[in-house]
Amino acid sequence: MKAIQLTVNGGAYKVFCPEDITLLTLLREHLHLTGTKEGCAAGECGACTVIYNGKPINACMVLAMEADGAVIETIEGEAKDGVLSPLQQAFIDCHALQCGFCTPGMIMSARALLDENPTPTRDEIVHAMEGNLCRCTGYEPIIRAIEQIAGGAQ
Amino acid sequence: MYAFLAPKTLEDARGFLESRPNLKLLAGGTDLIIGLREGLVTPDAVMDVKQIPALTQIRQTEDVLEIGAAVTVDEMLRSGYLSGPYHALYEAGEELANILLRNRATLAGNICNASPGGDMLPACLVLDAWVETIRPDGGRRIPLREFFMGPKRHVLASDEMVVKTVFPRAAGKSAYRKKKRIRGHDLAQVGVAGLLGADGALTLAFGACGPTPICLDVFDTNTQSRAEILDAAMNGIAPIGDVRASKEHRQEMARYLTEAVLDAIEEVRV
Ligand SMILES: Cc1cc2nc3c(=O)[nH]c(=O)nc-3n(C[C@H](O)[C@H](O)[C@H](O)COP(=O)(O)OP(=O)(O)OC[C@H]3O[C@@H](n4cnc5c(N)ncnc54)[C@H](O)[C@@H]3O)c2cc1C
Ligand code: FES
Ligand code: FES
Repeated sequence: MKAIQLTVNGGAYKVFCPEDITLLTLLREHLHLTGTKEGCAAGECGACTVIYNGKPINACMVLAMEADGAVIETIEGEAKDGVLSPLQQAFIDCHALQCGFCTPGMIMSARALLDENPTPTRDEIVHAMEGNLCRCTGYEPIIRAIEQIAGGAQ
Repeated sequence: MYAFLAPKTLEDARGFLESRPNLKLLAGGTDLIIGLREGLVTPDAVMDVKQIPALTQIRQTEDVLEIGAAVTVDEMLRSGYLSGPYHALYEAGEELANILLRNRATLAGNICNASPGGDMLPACLVLDAWVETIRPDGGRRIPLREFFMGPKRHVLASDEMVVKTVFPRAAGKSAYRKKKRIRGHDLAQVGVAGLLGADGALTLAFGACGPTPICLDVFDTNTQSRAEILDAAMNGIAPIGDVRASKEHRQEMARYLTEAVLDAIEEVRV
């Protein structure tokens, strides 16, 4: 067990945890932030996407110990004061989710893209979302939801 | 259960390489963490190389382009250095998985994982790159053309760590083409890199066409026709069939992608 410190959604955490767990396990089972999902735990699906020091990554592909000192944003930080973000609302408006399992990861990848490039083209959106798999929607509504925000709703 | 080590200097890293015989190095972790999870590797300690400032550098001098062992593929792509003769590295980096993985995965990790299909490897081979390593009692320079021993096997000793990958100054133009099943989510079924020097010398390298990446040096485009080059290149590779593609498909694709690489790099010839 080792102590690490990290910032998640603006809050400072000090955690005492085993050295051999992933950041995904740390978030879900130690910090109880279960919005970030575990699909494959092997870097394949993107359900575990979080923003890590400003970059979107798979939380299942990072060890918790590596995150000592990191600044992390998860889906729990997206709504503010109980109000959905425009990006979350656009997902609902565009029917960009069905079962919803991929959605936290989709939103975090889209958030990272929009933070870096507020007006991405469709191609840039498709490229940025390549790491996130969805078994329900067929992707088109997800792209439309992000396009809607990229078009100015942000 | 393993201990997590994160040395901040090369000296401390050397100390751990010496004192921890069953240690595994962690760069981006996109191969290692899967191995740990599946129990394929069971180290006593995992040593993160990313806290060592010297390893996070990417720099170009008169003679070389150096990429530290902790530099991510995405950082390479954004560096602005991967143009001209180094363009194949850019194209390979863009083909490696997807942005979520490129934000973690490193060039050194791709090299040390030694998969025959690793996307960065053919480009490294045509550019005649080498790695520089440290060990408890020193270090060495290993040309990548002598580095790969077989699938996931290389010449590094267990107490040896790559600190950087170095590309000698090059001239001309290079390209990389990859065939895969699913964009963003698959290793190469076949990957081909080519470097055409200003003097017409052509070097080709192939991923997933043998037990290691294969480098075929050197063709002369001044005297050899394209058909001759293609025939000679196809004789130099030995693809097998596996879960990603049949042997026959790989042979066809290797030829097709080699042509695509030649189309991309021959444009610049006068
Ligand atoms: C979903 C998914 C998709 C992928 N798609 C691709 C793809 O399209 N193309 C491709 O080429 N690869 C792909 N990969 C594999 C992987 O992402 C790459 O091989 C990557 O470059 C590995 O780099 P890393 O920094 O993450 O390595 P790590 O996992 O950190 O390390 C890889 C190996 O090298 C050793 N090592 C690391 N650093 C050093 C060092 N400095 N000195 C000595 N040994 C060291 C480690 O101990 C380990 O054995 C994929 C992986 C996943 C999970
Ligand atoms: S759970 Fe991390 S990529 Fe699937
Ligand atoms: S909404 Fe079900 S996986 Fe995407």
